Amino acid sequence: MRKFMVISIPIFAIAIFIFIMQNGSFLKYSLGEGEDIPQIIEEIIQNISKDHWEEANNKTNELKKTWNKIVSRIQFSSERDEINSFTASIARLEGAILAQDKSSAFMELKEALEHWRNLGR
Amino acid sequence: MNEGLVVAVRSIIGFFSLLIFTRIIGKEQISQLTFFDYVLGITIGSIAASLTTDLSSRAWPHWIGLLSWAALGYLMELITLKWRYAAKYLEGEPTIVIMKGKIMEKSLKKMKYRTSDIMALLRNKGVFDLNEVDFAIIEPNGQISVLKKPEHLPLTPKDMNIKVMPTGISTELIYDGIIIEENLAQLNKDKAWLMKEINKQGIKDPSEVFLATLNPAGKLYIDKYDDHIKKIIDIGDYKGPY
Repeated sequence: MRKFMVISIPIFAIAIFIFIMQNGSFLKYSLGEGEDIPQIIEEIIQNISKDHWEEANNKTNELKKTWNKIVSRIQFSSERDEINSFTASIARLEGAILAQDKSSAFMELKEALEHWRNLGR
Repeated sequence: MNEGLVVAVRSIIGFFSLLIFTRIIGKEQISQLTFFDYVLGITIGSIAASLTTDLSSRAWPHWIGLLSWAALGYLMELITLKWRYAAKYLEGEPTIVIMKGKIMEKSLKKMKYRTSDIMALLRNKGVFDLNEVDFAIIEPNGQISVLKKPEHLPLTPKDMNIKVMPTGISTELIYDGIIIEENLAQLNKDKAWLMKEINKQGIKDPSEVFLATLNPAGKLYIDKYDDHIKKIIDIGDYKGPY
């Protein structure tokens, strides 16, 4: 029993550590309703393409809220730089939508999508 | 992102990973470490430190670095255990620096030791006169082993044909006021015997005793909580903050 504990506790601890360090690659995906970041980004692109700026603004707010939820889940397994870059992209996207600047908005959205893809990799 | 919380979680991961890995690598004492073991320890510690505080990269690559270094360290340990030929190269071997009282200059040069280093190591061993030394060997961990000339070796009871009592390891019978019954049983003694023995020394209850041990010669050592020593000698040579 003692030997079992001596071996099993470190193995169990290491398994938990690996899970904490590696869970970002799947926790960044949707766990609940409306937490699908690529889907929201796609919808914003569609709205901007059709010049629906009001709708794009609402969706950006939704993206921000969703992102904040996801950050709390992936913070232990992702690099701070990618997280900060995604947050900065959202802020710049808000500015582009405010200025109704299509090209800047698209650039920010594509960059944000790339940062999201790199999370936990 | 709560950076403090992330660092705290990473600290737990780093701390316990380090603990587990070092336990697996081996339980050598610090004094037994070779120079390579020492460097290995510093590197693994440094990786664990960056795992904890370097938030600009993920914890995972650092942890893999930690695992790789620990695994390589373990592999080296296994190789040196199983393959003597490799052990000689990896761990080094003892080198004779003084033989039959003569300093081996070539060996010293090869090991990059100065005579003053050897003198210092000898002084650490209580040898202040080179005339006393028959053999001196530098071990792979940098320590020196000294064999003095027969005329400088200490006199032993055997030399004088003196009969001595057998020595051995004392067994704890009372610790922190509590009787350790397993040890009593092991020595074929009972509680009544112990009470009789401590009563002889004016102790009424085992709770008055901090430590009681019995040596194989049958002599009891008893330390009470109440030491009756009013003034403890202060061996400090400087009046500091306390």
